[in-house]
Amino acid sequence: MPVDTDSQQPHDVSPSTHSSDEVFQLKDLEVHYGKFRAVRDVNMVLRKHEITAFIGPSGCGKTTVLRCLNRMNDVIDSAKVGGQVLYHGVDLYGSSVSATEVRRRIGMVFQRPNPFPKSIYENVAFGPKVNGVRSKSELDGIVEESLKSAALWDEVKTRLKSSALGMSGGQQQRLCIARAIAVQPEVILMDEPCSALDPVATARIEDLMQGIKDRYTIVIVTHNMQQAGRVSDRTGFFTTEVNPDSDRRTGMLVEFDRTPVIFSSPRDKRTEAYVTGRFG
Amino acid sequence: MDELRKSFHHDLEKARGDLALLAARVVEIIPRATSVLLDGDLEGAELVIRGDAEIDAHAVDVEERCIQILALQAPVASDLRQVVALLKMIAEIERSGDLAANICKATRRIYGHELDPKLRGIIGRMGEQAASLYAAAIEAFRENDAAKAAAVDDMDAYLDALQKQFIAAIFESQAAGHIDLQVAVQLAMVARFYERIGDHAVNMAERVTYIVTGKVPDHKKPKRPQVNIDSIDDLGAAPGSAEAT
Repeated sequence: MPVDTDSQQPHDVSPSTHSSDEVFQLKDLEVHYGKFRAVRDVNMVLRKHEITAFIGPSGCGKTTVLRCLNRMNDVIDSAKVGGQVLYHGVDLYGSSVSATEVRRRIGMVFQRPNPFPKSIYENVAFGPKVNGVRSKSELDGIVEESLKSAALWDEVKTRLKSSALGMSGGQQQRLCIARAIAVQPEVILMDEPCSALDPVATARIEDLMQGIKDRYTIVIVTHNMQQAGRVSDRTGFFTTEVNPDSDRRTGMLVEFDRTPVIFSSPRDKRTEAYVTGRFG
Repeated sequence: MDELRKSFHHDLEKARGDLALLAARVVEIIPRATSVLLDGDLEGAELVIRGDAEIDAHAVDVEERCIQILALQAPVASDLRQVVALLKMIAEIERSGDLAANICKATRRIYGHELDPKLRGIIGRMGEQAASLYAAAIEAFRENDAAKAAAVDDMDAYLDALQKQFIAAIFESQAAGHIDLQVAVQLAMVARFYERIGDHAVNMAERVTYIVTGKVPDHKKPKRPQVNIDSIDDLGAAPGSAEAT
């Protein structure tokens, strides 16, 4: 209950044995950048066709954990991942696992829309082409379906050959989601996907997330707590703790539960303090 | 770290304080309404009825501020529970004030009729118990104390038992020719008013539990055991009263 816990352990995050609706199981996940431990002891289960939100103050490790889910941290030389990230029971960081295949199955949408300086059509067709799709009709079908899924088709169907860079910020972000969808991933990771967008564009992305969640598993990092409340099924609250031997802070998962619980009756005082603005 | 959203939390505390003050006014008018009834004090009845109108106006003010907080501040967690509880509790307080006023309106209707000592005794005890319940609910609210809130439900069982005893006494008094049917009906309604005030106090206490624990009141809970009024000395102290503790 919100009033009686001083526990330093996160709630409801212990992974159980693998079941069919579990997509990710994080076991004692920790990430170091060189000697600095950025995040520690993350244990959680992310479930199929759910939207999971990560919230918390800057530096709490939520983006670092998100990036572990499709091995994006591999591109940072000093990053070292400890513990386990199990994807359908398979260790994502196992020696036989291809990082490229991981990123095909687990797509990512970034904070700022980053369309390629190509046409709208080419942006969406790029991934399938890299994966070997050559048939024009098949590519046309993928582009149309992906743009429809991203709620963008009606706005761009008459100008598919126009440059993606001429689109509005919100349209560009939905294009990036269409691009991610085009390679038929199972999971879409979103790193603050609406932080550069206005409220209308944000609402469109949120509607889009709800529209596609029956086909994809979505994990979103957001600084906007209302957004986490609006779109997610489960929410993980991360915070930072000061390391005794330095002034640097390490991120940790405090509480992970169904979103209505996190925003109505969180069980940990630290979650309560953060979501109510009693510390910042 | 620093507290954020200080102005919002200040507004919320202010709304809480105002609600507690309004509830305290209900605690004040319950014994006044009882005195009005026992003394046939028509002037006092007017004052209580006017006081209820003031409670109604203040209740609207607190409700509007809660709606404003919901609209502008998007409260969550304990803040959300506070605002939701305030909105529920303000309705309980407003209704309780109405019931106290109704007791005074019944006084007008039975004006000039003498009540026998047994009826007067039970009316006095119902009034005391209803006020005690209300005071306990407010104390639990002020102190955010779920244990104190839980005790209010037990206290209400005694008020319910008093109501049943009172109804039986009304039948006896009417059968003995001490009061006529019109007075008997009015008194039965008065008993109901006190009993309902007790229920509103219980509802308020349940909202205190909700604020503290997040547990939404369960209205399908099993019925509590009834208090056997016959086992309580007629002039004995009521559970929860100062004499009993």
